[in-house]
Amino acid sequence: MPNEPRGAARAAALALSLLMWACALSAVPPGPSAGETLYRRGLLPSAEPVQALRQGGATIRGADAACVNCHRRSGLGSSEGRITIPPIAGPYLFIARGKSLEQQGVPFVDTERVNHEAYTDESLARAIREGVGANGKTLNYLMPRYQIDDAAMAELIGYLKGMRVSPSPGVSTSVLHFATIITPDADPVKRRGMLAVMNQYFTDKNNAAARTKAPTLYSSHTMMFRVERRWQLHVWELTGEPVTWEAQLRRHLAAEPVFAVISGLGGSNWEPVYRFCEAQSLPCLFPNVEAPVGRDSDFYSVYFSRGVLLEAQLIAGELAETREPIHTLVQVFRSGDVGEQAARALQATRTGSGQQIVNRVLKAHAASKDLAAALREVGAADALVLWLRPGELSALEKVPPPTSRVWISGEMGGLEQAPLPAGWRAVTRMAYPVDLPGRRVVRVDYALSWFRIRKIPLVAQQVQADTYLACGLVSETLNHMVDAFVRDYLIERVEMALDHRVLTGYYPRLTLAPGQRFASKGGYIVRFSDPQGTRVAPLGEWITP
Amino acid sequence: MQPRILGRLGAALTCATGVLLAVATAATVSRATVNYETPAVMLVRADGKSVSLPHELDDGRPVLLNFIFTTCSSVCPLTSRTLEEFQDKLGSEAARVHVMSISIDPEQDTPARLTEYARKFHAGPEWQYYTGTLAASIAAQRAFDVYRGEKMSHTAVTLLRAAPGKPWLRIEGFVTPDELVDDYRNLLASP
Repeated sequence: MPNEPRGAARAAALALSLLMWACALSAVPPGPSAGETLYRRGLLPSAEPVQALRQGGATIRGADAACVNCHRRSGLGSSEGRITIPPIAGPYLFIARGKSLEQQGVPFVDTERVNHEAYTDESLARAIREGVGANGKTLNYLMPRYQIDDAAMAELIGYLKGMRVSPSPGVSTSVLHFATIITPDADPVKRRGMLAVMNQYFTDKNNAAARTKAPTLYSSHTMMFRVERRWQLHVWELTGEPVTWEAQLRRHLAAEPVFAVISGLGGSNWEPVYRFCEAQSLPCLFPNVEAPVGRDSDFYSVYFSRGVLLEAQLIAGELAETREPIHTLVQVFRSGDVGEQAARALQATRTGSGQQIVNRVLKAHAASKDLAAALREVGAADALVLWLRPGELSALEKVPPPTSRVWISGEMGGLEQAPLPAGWRAVTRMAYPVDLPGRRVVRVDYALSWFRIRKIPLVAQQVQADTYLACGLVSETLNHMVDAFVRDYLIERVEMALDHRVLTGYYPRLTLAPGQRFASKGGYIVRFSDPQGTRVAPLGEWITP
Repeated sequence: MQPRILGRLGAALTCATGVLLAVATAATVSRATVNYETPAVMLVRADGKSVSLPHELDDGRPVLLNFIFTTCSSVCPLTSRTLEEFQDKLGSEAARVHVMSISIDPEQDTPARLTEYARKFHAGPEWQYYTGTLAASIAAQRAFDVYRGEKMSHTAVTLLRAAPGKPWLRIEGFVTPDELVDDYRNLLASP
């Protein structure tokens, strides 16, 4: 008897926990299919790594053998050197010889070989296992021969058949919808500058299409002409607290489906936008974010540069090479600004060095006396890193530099326009994550002339030039994509198109690849040449930390 | 000059053949004997040391040279695996061959990333990876006629040299580890 109440309680607790477990299960979104896991990660349904043999006898396994490495996430193939890796998204495999892609409603891709036999499930399994194509010929040496049992093969073929090649949401026969995202903490001046460029770019793009005398041509079995689609921009302005941004973005996307997000403007917190783009498999191309969020192993978020996080690495390199020992590394940043992330990144690079580090945080609306207070106990044996904005740099006028080892952020301070007082210039080095003024002038002038002719006010030069570059890159990439409006493919083609790009704006060189999500890799350390003015001189070559 | 021109012609012909055979069924491999002038560029080895390319090439050992980038997902993993197996097949003799892999994407391929890549292919101390400035990498690529403008245009080229001052054996295409061992032994046996 005494056990009964306890037993009932136990049963109730068990029932409750089962209920909670069931609720939790129903809330969890479905995971990737076994076919997708095999395709992307090279893992069998048993979670064992898949094994494959090369023709020459070498064995590869797991992620190294994953289909995605060559055929890419879109399944639309790729090309490397003289090797063309064909599309393996279902429709391309099962198209019969003699029937054009268009007749089948399948977009043209330049990796497709039009004259192959249609695969069946059986011949496809043979191709994957034995490296023999539908026409009986041996496949390219690059194609491994996989050891996959019937059940896993069925999963993989099921996944390939389900790969989407019809246009992504946001693409109609006449309109391509794009969004740009602005967070509420973004700089209002930069916002105005960015939107002026984007609106004009979209207008120009649509006017140019309208001016084309040629009739709008649809792809047919005899012609591969692109349909000229109008570009439409949706500006997604977020409001309120960051915790609500993802939900706002999901609502925007549901109401206005877009093919991709171009450019955009953030303040100190881009994390929710980054999470949204990755979760929704939505390309988020080159936003103006000073402290970008993400890793090289991500897929959908692509940036021009690591911004202040790159600057932290550049400064870390300098600190590591300092001959005179540094007593204390003092970092000053304003609460809620990106300097906080930069300071954290720099601190992380010094972990294990035994370096004493002190962070002085200015209040959001700090007065110049607060800045003076932050510098009060800094001595000649210390190093000072100032993650400050132009207004705060101007305020240094009233304080003499307490040490001869000072670094500032070019990204935050305004590059060569940074209003650094004369008394600080001789002792201050600036992290400079873009090309030098003299070297980038031609590339940037191209954008500036475009702004001038179109009477776009120049209010935030780098943001506007980067925005113009982002729009240009998307436009150029879409030209290569012909009619294959698949979001994953957009990212893959941006990766490929970037290496060809000559006009790279503020950056000396832009390059991406699978596993590279920050296109410009380095920067300079510069010093002002004169007590006044904007001349800067590099203290060495371009550094890629 | 003459052998160099012939070599270039050979390489050009190889390229032309390669285009035709790109969709061929099996691995298409061609070989040519070529002289190259080594540019006096400085590279950064994966251990972080600044080194001179001629000095690294001319350490007295036979050299196997190729060009890779660590985020290359199709061609390079295969060629790197071939070199790994080449070393395995040579066994203790592997220490007598200096294997050199130079990055064609040096801004991304920092010494740390190259070290990680080397570990993945079980590269021993005799297999070294190099990065450096973009200009230095391009100079090295041009000198060995592998520069194709951008990284995604690169092709599988393996270069073998028996000793300093000797000509190079240029192997285009996906050579198998066994073929590479044969190439190496034949090269050493040739006068």
